[in-house]
Amino acid sequence: MQGFRFGKTGFILGLLFLILFFFAIISIGIGPVSIPPDTVLKVVANKLGFIDFAEDELVQSSAIIYSIRLPRVILAVLVGAALAVSGAALQGLFRNPLADPTLIGASSGSALAAAIVIIVGAQIGVLIPEIIGAALLPLGAFLGALAATLLVYTISTKSGKTNMATMLLAGIAINALAASGIGYLIFTATDVQIRDLTFWTLGSLGGSVWDTVINSSPFLLICIIGLPLFSKNLNVMLLGENEAHYLGLNTQFTKKVIIVLATLGVGSAVAVSGIIGFVGLVVPHLLRLLMGPDHRFIMPASVLLGALLLLASDLFARMVVIPAELPIGIVTATIGAPFFLWLLMRNRSISNYL
Amino acid sequence: MAADEEPIHIQLPVIEAKNITLEVAGKKKILNDVSISINPGVLTAVIGKNGAGKSSLLKAICGENNYTHGTVVVNGKSSAEYDVEELAKSRAVVSQKSSLDFAFKVREVVELGRAPHSGFFYSKEDAEIVTICLEKVGILTFADRSYTTLSGGEQQRVHVARALAQIWDSVENNQQCYLFLDEPLASLDVANQHEIMHLLKQLCSKNVAVFIVIHDLNLAAQYADHVYILKNGKTFTEGSPVEVFTEDTIYQAFDYPVQVVPHPKTNCPLIVAEAYSDHE
Repeated sequence: MQGFRFGKTGFILGLLFLILFFFAIISIGIGPVSIPPDTVLKVVANKLGFIDFAEDELVQSSAIIYSIRLPRVILAVLVGAALAVSGAALQGLFRNPLADPTLIGASSGSALAAAIVIIVGAQIGVLIPEIIGAALLPLGAFLGALAATLLVYTISTKSGKTNMATMLLAGIAINALAASGIGYLIFTATDVQIRDLTFWTLGSLGGSVWDTVINSSPFLLICIIGLPLFSKNLNVMLLGENEAHYLGLNTQFTKKVIIVLATLGVGSAVAVSGIIGFVGLVVPHLLRLLMGPDHRFIMPASVLLGALLLLASDLFARMVVIPAELPIGIVTATIGAPFFLWLLMRNRSISNYL
Repeated sequence: MAADEEPIHIQLPVIEAKNITLEVAGKKKILNDVSISINPGVLTAVIGKNGAGKSSLLKAICGENNYTHGTVVVNGKSSAEYDVEELAKSRAVVSQKSSLDFAFKVREVVELGRAPHSGFFYSKEDAEIVTICLEKVGILTFADRSYTTLSGGEQQRVHVARALAQIWDSVENNQQCYLFLDEPLASLDVANQHEIMHLLKQLCSKNVAVFIVIHDLNLAAQYADHVYILKNGKTFTEGSPVEVFTEDTIYQAFDYPVQVVPHPKTNCPLIVAEAYSDHE
């Protein structure tokens, strides 16, 4: 039995990795200028120094891949992975399969903080050095996500047991508060700022350049690599805080680390791409249906499937209305919101523990 | 009130809770100066009315509640000095209510009991222990069913198996270890109740200190070695089943009249509650 479980989940993990890899290569090739996958591989290998050839015949493809498509694909992979794994971790922490960063308000809290940084930063921008100014946005986004998550957790959790209704209602309240805050900022903003702010609320990977990748990837990677390390602890936490304590877990420490890592991931994702909803809900759910609730498999699988889902959504977002592009948050919400409704219909017993 | 200070067993108590008082801010004392000792090889039962403080006492001893006064000493050392992980290797707790809303298989829930002993992944040895424990509790037949689809009684047995898996190393090596159970039998049928009590008795013979909060007076009378009766957060009395299960004591502790007769087969006290009437 044991062998079967590891065999099956190992197979799923390997398959997801392969699909992600090939899909990323294909996705780099797709766009207004179509580039065949073998050219993509050649150019990437060349850039990494694995092979060396004269770029002359590929100079155009190389330029497109390197300066436009590659940073975007990398960012889609990292953001998708971080959002999905944060969702899986928060669901484990809240012991509640509906704890999604968008539903509980972590994303919108983060976006509000980011919006404040943009608007207020523009007004006092001359006063702060550029290097701090660049760090303020991701920092603000992280703190916004952290504050929202802590608020919802404190309100909805009493002695280690989360009340699902309270959690979702607190999420609604935070989402409403953030929406009104962002609305007010839009009301006071200049035209250029309005476009930036719209971007936060709808989500987009359109602004992906190497600078963004370099600035955000350390934080996203800390979340993506860090959270799966706590998989075993999350499994134990699912039994309840008291039980986890009896099983020798330092519950306070585990809770803090998981909240910080998850909100770091959500905040960094929001800082680079705005609110991209439902990735953290859909991905872990599909995986639980496929491989059971064990976090030791769900967490790494969420990293891979989250990356894949966002890559596919981004591809759709940039191809469907060429030459314009759709905000990616619209795409994920179109998939995610019906999925959420389906979950509610399928699992009516949820009302049992409301 | 039998505040007997004499140690009943020759052995030094392994866990000794002294003068535990638990106050909830602005409310009455939930526990008021309760002292108990838990010994290896002894099945200690705690009984009492609803709200008498039984579960709170168990939680206080296990370091879950921060009691206001008193000390809990484990093997001569204050329980606060222990590392939680170290303690978890030889002390398992089955709580009254464990909720788990994720569809783990029964085997996977029991595997969680191996958490203090295992690394990131469970070893082959862990898997073997889990199988043994599933069998001991009689739930091996549904090891691959989803926990969330089980009945309340079945879920309780899963947690007993999980706790057993947690202390199994000590049980096998005849080392002192502790098993705390809070009302584990409430939703079990009569056969399963007795099977679990029999299992606990077997564990006692292997140097395990078993501490059980229990409602069924007859199960306590038949299986317990030592019984504490709590009332209003205080120790009302304590002693062997024969000593505490008398009509007078039970009437005073529970405010309800009972008849105590000898069990026709085993001669242990058999408690028969009287039908309700407006007795004054």
